[in-house]
Amino acid sequence: MTNRMNRTNSWRAGLQRGGIELRHLLRNGKEMSGHLTNVVVALLVAAYVSDDVPGTRTPMTHLVLAGFAAYLLFQVGLINLPQILVTEREEGTLLRLRATPGGIPAYLVAKCLLVVVLAVGTLALLLVAGALLADGPLPHGPGDWLTLAWVTTLGLLAVVPLGAAIGAVLPNPREALALIMLPTMGLLLTSGAVFPITAMPVPVQHVAAVFPLKWMAQGLRSALLPDSARTAEAAGSWELPMVALVLTAWAIVGFLLAVPLLRRAARRESGSRLSARHRKAERSGALPA
Amino acid sequence: MTTFGRTDVQPVIQVRDLTMTYGDVDVLRGVDLDIHRGEVFALLGPNGAGKTTTVEILEGFRQRSGGKVSVLGADPERGGDAWRGRIGLVLQSWRDHRRWRVAELLTHFATYYPDPRDPAELLTLVGLTDQAGRQVDRLSGGQRRRLDVALGIVGRPELLFLDEPTTGFDPQARHEFHVLVERLARDEGVTVLLTTHDLAEAERLADRIAMLVGGRIRDCGTPAELARRAAAQAEVRWTADDGTPRRERTEDPSRLVWELHRDAAGPIADLEVRRPTLEDTYLHMVHREADGTGGDDGTDRDADEEAPAA
Repeated sequence: MTNRMNRTNSWRAGLQRGGIELRHLLRNGKEMSGHLTNVVVALLVAAYVSDDVPGTRTPMTHLVLAGFAAYLLFQVGLINLPQILVTEREEGTLLRLRATPGGIPAYLVAKCLLVVVLAVGTLALLLVAGALLADGPLPHGPGDWLTLAWVTTLGLLAVVPLGAAIGAVLPNPREALALIMLPTMGLLLTSGAVFPITAMPVPVQHVAAVFPLKWMAQGLRSALLPDSARTAEAAGSWELPMVALVLTAWAIVGFLLAVPLLRRAARRESGSRLSARHRKAERSGALPA
Repeated sequence: MTTFGRTDVQPVIQVRDLTMTYGDVDVLRGVDLDIHRGEVFALLGPNGAGKTTTVEILEGFRQRSGGKVSVLGADPERGGDAWRGRIGLVLQSWRDHRRWRVAELLTHFATYYPDPRDPAELLTLVGLTDQAGRQVDRLSGGQRRRLDVALGIVGRPELLFLDEPTTGFDPQARHEFHVLVERLARDEGVTVLLTTHDLAEAERLADRIAMLVGGRIRDCGTPAELARRAAAQAEVRWTADDGTPRRERTEDPSRLVWELHRDAAGPIADLEVRRPTLEDTYLHMVHREADGTGGDDGTDRDADEEAPAA
């Protein structure tokens, strides 16, 4: 009984927390401009390409926008989320919530809310702005909308727990960015998000096919591009069952990694570890006093 | 200051033969503590003496190597949410929630507790009413610490841990902080465990002080008791006939001086009798430990442990 009360309370505190954090994000010019820049860059690249997707009558703009849409989801889960986690671990937010009854569940609820709103918000912004400014693609009919919804959901499920696991093990915010940025950019270029994957050497295609980004992009193309465009896909079809399978597999792997790693990260927090990190950061001059 | 003679009541914190070993180094070597309800208890010791380790074991953030520990009737290693809700923490290194507004943060943390304090009253109590709408990032060091105290007591804890709470405070802020802690203990019956390496602060605030040096409690008692014990051994200094300076510790300096005069059958050069203060004794203990005569290298070890494990 008290257990259920605790859980309800954690949910309430978590939702309140997520709401406040969202408000802070919206008011933070620097961070907001970072997210908006991503959208602007995507729109500029989309407006710059002119040809059709080879072998189809679909404009490249559409392929690029669908690819960037997938990349934005990917980035929220695997770059933004780990960075937030590492920073908050370092500042002591995680420790304070660990010392608070029901704090850690509330923290997770808040982070999920933040990440989902951030991801869906940037995705919507990109698609709407793309449609208005660059004649970009939008889903046609309920089937396409449904595909958009499940690919987005599964895509987030594939990358968010994984990002949480990464955030739990990365050393500190300064090194964290460098460590995750490079592989992510590599995947952006090799996953067929910004130009047809068939332009890549076959071994590269095989490697990219292991990671979720290729499948997220492919799934979103199936939702956003006309059905005729599937001839440009590597398999000649959208392979939606495969999209679902790979993304589900990553979601499971992510959860299996994230739960113990987050638990370990929270358990390891203590006052002296926090001070030690601050001292180290101050020595390297990276932390404002 | 009153001594608490409530042996019939279970102490808020009870520690028996607590040991902690990192690798092959003993950081804590059999610590015993009894801290009673409503008491302000100071754990005093130099850096690396094992203070942090002890407190983190009591807070439930570290697993001990051996011994029995009970905090509010539970083993900290198995303390659940209800247990957590009865404990408040004020650490020195918190820099969290920088973007939040002061009142917003306090109101949010009140929602985690069954019977929280009123955030507005709490702001008055810690003197941050004027800063209620300010971003946490923009607070001064002293204000930030007072906010940490407010967050530490928002859930009406029965037990409050204060970890070197006034490091970096100016004298005025330090004084205000002391008044606040005294009020919590006296008016609300909160038990306070204060760690510090500042003897003056411990004497000012604590009902009882334990000196932790080299992983052991070297002395424990009220400030007056400790001072009396410290002064029990006076130091007599003089210069001997051959010109060498001499010193001797004795419980009966009067007798020693009389014997010296009798033996010399005349005046003694540079004769001096000193009653050591508590501070002399503390520094003496710390010094002896640092020289390595008091034990092994437990001093350095704690610092190593505090470095983040890769």
